[in-house]
Amino acid sequence: MPDLFVIGISHRTASIDIRERLWFSKEEIRNALPQLKDRFFRECVLLSTCNRTELYGFPRQSGLDRDNFRKFFTGLKNIDSVVRPEHFYNLSGRESARHLFRVATGIDSMIPGDVQILGQVKEAYSLARECDTLGLVSARLFQSAFHAGKRSRAETGISEGAVSISYGAVELAGKIYADLHRKTALLLGAGKTSELTLKHLRSKGIGRLYIANRTLSKALELAERFEASVIDFDSFKSNLKSIDILISSVSSPQYILTSGDLSRLMKERENRALLVIDLGVPRNIDPTANRIENVFLHDIDTFKVIVDKNLQKRHAEIPKVEKIIEEELSRFLHWKDSLEVNPTIEQLEAAVEAIRQKEIDKYRHRFRPEEHETLELLTRRIINKILHPPLVTLRQGLEGRDDEGIRMVALTRRLFGLPSQAEPAFGDIEDERPEQADTGEEAPTEDETE
Amino acid sequence: MKLFSVIGTYLLPLLYFFSVWLYGRGFFRGSRVAEAIKTPFLASTLLLHLLYLSNRTLWLGHPPVTSIFELMSLLSFCIAAGYLYLEARTRVRGTGYFIINLSFFFQLFSSLFIRDERNVNPILQSNWLGVHVASALLGYAAIAISAAYGFLYLMLYHEIKATKFGVIYKKLPSLEVLEGMSYRSAVFGFTLLTAAIAIGILWFRREFPESSYFDVKLIGSMLIWLLYGVGLLGKRIAGWRGRKMVILSLSAFGLAVFSLTAINFIFSEFHTFY
Repeated sequence: MPDLFVIGISHRTASIDIRERLWFSKEEIRNALPQLKDRFFRECVLLSTCNRTELYGFPRQSGLDRDNFRKFFTGLKNIDSVVRPEHFYNLSGRESARHLFRVATGIDSMIPGDVQILGQVKEAYSLARECDTLGLVSARLFQSAFHAGKRSRAETGISEGAVSISYGAVELAGKIYADLHRKTALLLGAGKTSELTLKHLRSKGIGRLYIANRTLSKALELAERFEASVIDFDSFKSNLKSIDILISSVSSPQYILTSGDLSRLMKERENRALLVIDLGVPRNIDPTANRIENVFLHDIDTFKVIVDKNLQKRHAEIPKVEKIIEEELSRFLHWKDSLEVNPTIEQLEAAVEAIRQKEIDKYRHRFRPEEHETLELLTRRIINKILHPPLVTLRQGLEGRDDEGIRMVALTRRLFGLPSQAEPAFGDIEDERPEQADTGEEAPTEDETE
Repeated sequence: MKLFSVIGTYLLPLLYFFSVWLYGRGFFRGSRVAEAIKTPFLASTLLLHLLYLSNRTLWLGHPPVTSIFELMSLLSFCIAAGYLYLEARTRVRGTGYFIINLSFFFQLFSSLFIRDERNVNPILQSNWLGVHVASALLGYAAIAISAAYGFLYLMLYHEIKATKFGVIYKKLPSLEVLEGMSYRSAVFGFTLLTAAIAIGILWFRREFPESSYFDVKLIGSMLIWLLYGVGLLGKRIAGWRGRKMVILSLSAFGLAVFSLTAINFIFSEFHTFY
């Protein structure tokens, strides 16, 4: 069977202009997969996200003309003139399987430990199954990759901690308040980061959201998107008493809230904790206000500290993930080898047994009836003794390194003239539907989206 | 019986130490093995502790409330049991290291100095005294837990204020959760201390009608009771919260520890009247 092969582009090899040209929608994948299978592959899966487009496949025959294939592949999107060969990477055999595992565990992502990519790989698997381009080996390969992805998230800290400013702000809110459902947030200004913070707060179930912006139309637009209420920007101070989280990102040459304002406010709100997130540059709120009891004032630098620390921690977890990848990869290769070894052993035993039976039938009449049992026993013992060393060696090949088992199988088949192996039927595969991208403890963020 | 009691005396501090170690490994190192076994291990330690206390009661013929070191062992048990109850109830599992440490130290002191006395003052065998001691100990255990949560609150508060986002920030629950746990434990402790003081005074008047009320332990307990009372009243009426409340709770606990330990070492008897 020709080996697994992967061709693709990613954030490591191509800029966003190129990646977006080679991005396949679900419908395009549904159209492309049958064509690819007809012309090139026995089994294939197409993964396409905003950071990568990759085709995993088992070619129909070895020696696939990669240039020809690449032209066909880019031709599907009519971008032959834009995408150059150097934008692509090609891997085969063990390396291509390892690459898939790295993708599924998120360590090949732009931000290590990306939480969405596993869901996207499952989506690709699901589309391939829908288009009937998935086979026994590719199904098992992808399920092994899912398992590696799940293990890496459960057993390592690769996906822990916020890695974007907006999510860091929401994480901080969760360290001050027990239940965001009962809290109220106010957004002052409508910058991109504060908008994303709003999105994360909403996804975490914040109780009430208010927006105040100098440009009313922008405030109304955001309010509609995030089910928020709009308040007048000029009188926002009068609403602060009931606010628990204040996010500010306005352009202002002076502080819009002074330490004195916040001191008075804290008396009015009976000293209840107040989280103030100042995303403005220059800062919108007097930084000395952080000295006031129960006022937690943090500016953009705070969140950079959080993000940097979490990124460092995630990078430090990569070796642990790589260890999991090697374990899962080794399990997959062992399974793949056994797929070839076991039928070969059975065929070899059957072939030798057929020879024995044929010869016995031919010469049985030369022996007396009372000798027949001894004849059976004797011939069986002879062939068992002859077959024992090669069968042991074949089975040991399963435990061996890399593709040793496969090489032994090929040699055995040639030596004993065994017929070519029938393609394994599709079945006996543990079914696994793709899951939604995890939006649990660590929701995907603008930086984390594949 | 004696053998079991002796084994328990030496084994319990070790078991509490290992519980602290497991909770610490889980908290600071994120060890999955420690996370998995820490709670069952602590529960087993508590079971052994209960057997030890029961065995000691049967063997010596009196409950373990006749000396400060017996009381410390009982207090250690109450704190660990209270924590285990809170862990099961709230699902907050990351704070055990800081609370089981208290159990460990109380049990260590108890094991180091405890004596096996069969003959105790007959006054100490009164049922009223049993109720007084039980409610006082449960009250002290509750305020110890309240103080531990208060301490954690202060650590997280300062970590957030100072923009230091280390292991405390990562592992502890939110400030509101810590404050709530500290507050609820304080209310529970205050209620029990109120009962202990009331029962103690009634019992004292009946048993020692001629004695003076000027007893250091009684004054100390009244002061602790007053501090908690002021704090809880302040929260209810003046809306005191957060750091201020926690500092008050920690001060009251400091006084309680002083009352339970230092005063006992200075004065030979638990109370001045027996």
